[in-house]
Amino acid sequence: MSRTTETDGGATGTTGSTGHTGSSGDSRSKTLIDARDVSKKFGEFTAVDGMSLDVGAGEIVGLLGANGAGKTTLLRMILGLEAATSGAISVLGTSTARADRTALGYVPQGLGLYTSLTLDQNVEFVADAFGVTDIPPLPAALAAVRTRQVASIGLGRQRQLAFHCALLHAPRLLVLDEPTSGVDPLARARLWDTIHAQADAGVGVLVTTHYMQEAEQCTRLAIMSHGRPVARGTTAEITASHEAVVVHADDWSRAFAALGEAGLPVMLAGRTSRVAGTTIEDVDAALDAAAVPARTETVPATLEETMVLVERAARQAG
Amino acid sequence: MRAMVLKEFRELRRDKRTLAMLIGLPLMLLIIFGFAANFTVDTLEVAVAGSDADQVEQLVASNPQAEDELDIVATEPGEGEAWARDQLADDHADLAVVTGDGLADDSGGTPLVLIDGSNLFAAQAANVVVAGLGDQVDHEVLYNPDLTTSWVMVPALIGLILTFIGTLITSIGLVRERESGTLEQLAVMPFSSTAVILGKITPYFLLACVDMVIVTVLGMWVFDVPFNGSVVAFVLGAGIFLFAVLGIGVLISTVSQNTGQAVQVAMMTLLPQVLLSGMIFPLDAMAAGVRWIGYLFPLTWFTKISQGVMLRDASWEYLALPLGILVVMACVFFGLAVLRLRRSISPARSHTPQVEGAADGVEAR
Repeated sequence: MSRTTETDGGATGTTGSTGHTGSSGDSRSKTLIDARDVSKKFGEFTAVDGMSLDVGAGEIVGLLGANGAGKTTLLRMILGLEAATSGAISVLGTSTARADRTALGYVPQGLGLYTSLTLDQNVEFVADAFGVTDIPPLPAALAAVRTRQVASIGLGRQRQLAFHCALLHAPRLLVLDEPTSGVDPLARARLWDTIHAQADAGVGVLVTTHYMQEAEQCTRLAIMSHGRPVARGTTAEITASHEAVVVHADDWSRAFAALGEAGLPVMLAGRTSRVAGTTIEDVDAALDAAAVPARTETVPATLEETMVLVERAARQAG
Repeated sequence: MRAMVLKEFRELRRDKRTLAMLIGLPLMLLIIFGFAANFTVDTLEVAVAGSDADQVEQLVASNPQAEDELDIVATEPGEGEAWARDQLADDHADLAVVTGDGLADDSGGTPLVLIDGSNLFAAQAANVVVAGLGDQVDHEVLYNPDLTTSWVMVPALIGLILTFIGTLITSIGLVRERESGTLEQLAVMPFSSTAVILGKITPYFLLACVDMVIVTVLGMWVFDVPFNGSVVAFVLGAGIFLFAVLGIGVLISTVSQNTGQAVQVAMMTLLPQVLLSGMIFPLDAMAAGVRWIGYLFPLTWFTKISQGVMLRDASWEYLALPLGILVVMACVFFGLAVLRLRRSISPARSHTPQVEGAADGVEAR
C-alpha cells in the first residue's frame, strides 16, 4: 500500500464522491477540520509524517492505527495542544489557535474530569466555562449519583459524564480520543448511539478507536502506521482492494495447524480459517502438502484483515 | 530477592531526580552544616556616637582581643542616641555605643551600649562583651529585651509558611491538573491561557494571604511578638514575596510530570531556603560563599523585611533593598513561570518552535 499523496488530499472529502478540493467557499463552511500534509517531529523522532485529514459536518471520521501510530499526536495538533512541525491545519475554518473553542467538544483518553469533585460540580464548571446557562439534564444513570465524587463512580459512567460535559455547549465539532476504551459492550453501544445522534444533528466527529466494530460505524476512515497515512476512505473503499481466502475443512483444526506451519498469516473465524494477503494457490498448495482435504474460496478482506495487511505493507515499504 | 535488588537499582538509575537527590542532598547538607551551621557570631558590628566616639575607636584598636571581636562600622562624634538607635533599627550594626554629649542629660555620663535583640546570636555575644565591662557602661537590649527566640522566629516563620504554600502546594495543584489530563482539557476550553494561569494561582495567593494573617495574629497573640513597624510595608513585602514563591511553584510544576516529582523538587528548593535564609543560622556567621547562596533565596530577603518591620520598625530606606530584590525575583520567577506554563498550555498559539515539550508529547502517545 503506497502512501497517500497530496493529489488525493481533499478528494475523499465529504461523504459524496464529488472530488471537491475543500478550498471553495461553500465546502469550506462545511469542512470542520482540514489538515494538510501535517508532520510533527520530537527531536529526531517523527511522530506524524505527512498526514492529511478532513472532517465535514455530519460526518464521523475514524482515525485508526496501532499504539504509537501517532493518532493522539495528530489529535493534539488539531486541538492546538501541540504545534505542528510542518503542514497546515484549519479547524472550524481558521487556524487552530484562533478556532472558536465554544464550538469544539473534546473527550480525551484520560477523560479530563475533576475526579475529586462531584458530578454536579464538574458539570457546573464546564457550563460556567462555556457560558451555558440552560444546562441539559444529566442522563438517568448519572443523575442517580450526581452528588458523588467522580472518582467513586465506575469508568463507564465517568465516560458518560465526560461525553455529557463535552456536549453541554452543543459543539459543532466533536473530537474523541479512544472514547470507549475500558467500557463494557452495553455502555459502548450507548456511547455510540450518542455519537450517531450528534452526527445526525450535523456535528462533525473525529474519533480514534482500536475496535473494528466501531471503526465500521464511521462514515470514513483514515489509517495511520508509524505516523504515516496508509489508507483512507469508507470501509468498503479501504477493504475493496484486499482479499482473503476462506478455508472450509471438516477437520478445521488440522487445516488451521497446516496453514500455520506453512508460515501463512492464518486466523480462525468460527470453524473456518481465513488467510489474508495470500493467493488462493498458495493456500491450496499448503493444504495439499499437509494432505488436508478442504474447500477454499476468495472473499473480500474484513477491515481487521485489511488493517493487518496495510500495516505489514507499510512496514515493508518503510 | 536478588531480582528485587537488581530491579530497584535499574529503576533508580532511570530516575534522574531521585539520583540527583541521593547525591545532591548529602553534598548540600555537608556544605550547609560545614560552612553555614554556626550559631556563634565571632565579630560584632559596632556603631559609635557622641563626643568620645573617637576615643572608643582607639580603645578598641589598641586592644587585640577587642579588635578581633568588634568591627566598628560607623563613628559619628556629632550624633547621639537617636542616631545610634536608627543604626540598629536599620541593621547597620549589631550594637551601638553612645558616649559623652551624645547621651541624654540624665544619664550621668556613663556610656550607653545599645544591643539589637532581633539579631539573637549577635545579641547574646554582645551581652557577653558588655558583661565583661561591668559598671563601666549602661546597656539596653532593644526590640527583644528578653532575647526570646519566638520573637525572632515568628516573623521568619511567616515567610516559611508563604514559601510552603507558594512553592509546594501550588506546584502540586498544577501538576495534579497536568497528571489527570485536565490541563489539556482547559486548553481546549474557551479560556485564554492568562485566565487559566491566573484562575489557577489566585486561590493559592488568597489562601497564602489568609495563612499569613493567621500566623501573624497568632504569633502576636500567643507569643507576644510585637508589631512595631508599618503594616503597609509588611503587606507590600509579603505580596511581592508571594509572587516570587508562586513563580517558583509554577516553575516546578512545569518541570514535573507528576505529584511525586513536584514534591521532590519543591523539597529540594525548600530545604536550603530554611537553612540558608538566616532564619535558623545567622547569615553573619556563615562563610561568605554559603551566605551568597542564601542571598539568592527570596525567603532571605522576606525574613529581613518581616523581622525589620515587626521587631525594629525599620525605615523605608532599609527596606528598599530587600523590597527591590524581591521585586526583581518576583518578575524573573513569575515571568518565567507564566511563559513556560503558557507554552505548555497552548503551544500552537506561541510562535517559537517547541523543543522541551517533546518528551511530554512522546509520553502522551
